[in-house]
Amino acid sequence: MNAGVEGTALKTAAKEWGAARGVRIQVVELPYANLFEKEQLDLSSRTGAYDVMMLDDPWFPRMSENGGLAALPRDPDADFIPACLDVCRKPYRTGKYFALPYVGNAQLFFYRTDLFAKYHLTPPKTWDEVLAAAKTIGQGEKMYGYVMRAAAGNAVVADFMPLLWAFGGDVLDAGGKPACDSPAAVDALRFMLELGKYSPPGYAGFNADEVSAHLLQATAAMSINWPAWIAAMDDPAKSKVVGKIGFSPMPSGREPGVGELGSWLIAVSAASRHTADAFDFLYWATDAAQMKEAALRGNPPTRRSVFQAPDLIAKFRAFPAQLASLESARPRPRTPEWNEIENSFGIYLSQANAGAMDPAAAMRAASDAISKIVEGHEAATHP
Amino acid sequence: MKPRRIPEGFWWVFPSIAVLLALSVYPLIYAVKLSLADRRNFTRLVSDRLFLTAGAQTIVLTLAALVLEFALGLALAVLIDSLARGRAFFRTALLIPMLLPPVVAAVAWRLIYNPQFGVLNGTLRRIGVNTAHLTWTSGEASALASVILVDVWEWTPFLFLLLSAGLQSIPPEPMEAARVDGASAWQIFRDVTIPLLMPTILLALLLRAMDLVRIFDQIFILTQGGPGTATETVSLYIYRTAFRFSNFGYAAAMSFVLLAATMLFSRGLLRVMRSR
Repeated sequence: MNAGVEGTALKTAAKEWGAARGVRIQVVELPYANLFEKEQLDLSSRTGAYDVMMLDDPWFPRMSENGGLAALPRDPDADFIPACLDVCRKPYRTGKYFALPYVGNAQLFFYRTDLFAKYHLTPPKTWDEVLAAAKTIGQGEKMYGYVMRAAAGNAVVADFMPLLWAFGGDVLDAGGKPACDSPAAVDALRFMLELGKYSPPGYAGFNADEVSAHLLQATAAMSINWPAWIAAMDDPAKSKVVGKIGFSPMPSGREPGVGELGSWLIAVSAASRHTADAFDFLYWATDAAQMKEAALRGNPPTRRSVFQAPDLIAKFRAFPAQLASLESARPRPRTPEWNEIENSFGIYLSQANAGAMDPAAAMRAASDAISKIVEGHEAATHP
Repeated sequence: MKPRRIPEGFWWVFPSIAVLLALSVYPLIYAVKLSLADRRNFTRLVSDRLFLTAGAQTIVLTLAALVLEFALGLALAVLIDSLARGRAFFRTALLIPMLLPPVVAAVAWRLIYNPQFGVLNGTLRRIGVNTAHLTWTSGEASALASVILVDVWEWTPFLFLLLSAGLQSIPPEPMEAARVDGASAWQIFRDVTIPLLMPTILLALLLRAMDLVRIFDQIFILTQGGPGTATETVSLYIYRTAFRFSNFGYAAAMSFVLLAATMLFSRGLLRVMRSR
């Protein structure tokens, strides 16, 4: 499992389950950067070293390839948020279930409510309003109006996807071919660079920690961020903006606003020698009572009933916004090649943001690179 | 006819041979097999822009870091060798960067380089420098230089250490003889010290060059190869291809190209040094 906030709750749950069932459990925690490779190596070599795995949802298409994960013995109930369940199925949305959603993450929009009030701005509903607000606040205050992350790889892609979708573009079309050199996609990137003018210099090298540091230090007024950072914003030990950050679903553009889904799933390895116990744990850990426990330990749930529990809403003020964002969230393209596509896409996006490439040229280059990856995969699977 | 006996010593070295075979020779053969499984692995290399960029950047980084580290290391070694007192202190103090694990050093530098909150820009701002455009590792143009600077900071002590030991092992007589003949300090350095130091220089450069070609950890932590591909190196790309994209064949092919390049480079270096 992941060594971090998300993993901590699962680790505690695993210990409790082990104590209740009298089963000895060994937990392996790995940093995010190494988690995928360890799990994927174990799945493809079928050693069954890990019975239950915690995986990030974009990895699911790759990991469920070639029978790596075991199919669930029964379908999950209807309390789960559909967007979270869809990514547990192979094929996407329609197929059998091979995992259950444990952590319900979708991007949220973070903004300074106090500054919005000061400049008589309404909470941003569209990206144009975001840009206008970034301008106003950037000029009026000694701070940056907006902050984003555009380091190559996952970071820049995550911050670009909501814009791309809002402009009506996508990375791949319905047939799995690259679509990122469409006029809509180029417009989305142009808009991102426009926002970049109100972002701190050097944002083309930023990751999530830099973005959050700017919000926490009150040196930037808005950003796209993940729910994992909500708690820090209201923690007086870390934050200069306690109670001043508002959370809302993604702003809209030509299309309704959509945040990127980043759910953590738990699944059972097909090579596991303790399948019955492993599935028992899977269902137990994701039932409503356990998920409420996990929510109290800081994990965003994947069940509507937990999001709507009044005692939890009283404790976590962002829950309504989180639920709204999750309900409409879109996953990253469901392809086993996503890691490689994201890498290429991220390189060109980052170069455009660093000013080294013109948006149209960057998108054309990204599209070329992605089509090579897609063709390479097709050639490998259907020689 | 006497049956051929296994020499007694064999069983003593057998465990090491077995470990070597299992952990080194077998994976090597497997990697060769893997890279050759698909002929396209090698043809793809030639047209892979990312690989070519990474290759060019690896060369730039290796040469720049090597020259800087050598020049600084030699200067420091000569300087400290000429000190009358405090040699031991400076020698130990200079080794500190090298003693840090590269990962720790890189994390520290990532914080130092942070454009807004880092100590580097913070200090510059204090003394009145406009740091608005000093983005270090986040800047397309400055990222590679920033990475090189970290490597120079961390590994100059290594060259200093080797060269310093080399200087101490030079017997004083040839220098005294040169001095008696009226040679200037610079002449002594150029015509006596350097030639006598050559075996050490050669060894030091070779060790450092081989290490630089496969540089990974600092860059992985500092920039992950970005922004864009500004600091992408071959070993970083190999890692990504194998462990993130699960394309082990192509990664193995790239590794062999890197190995061949390292060997050619080392041989070239040896030849240049010997011919002098």
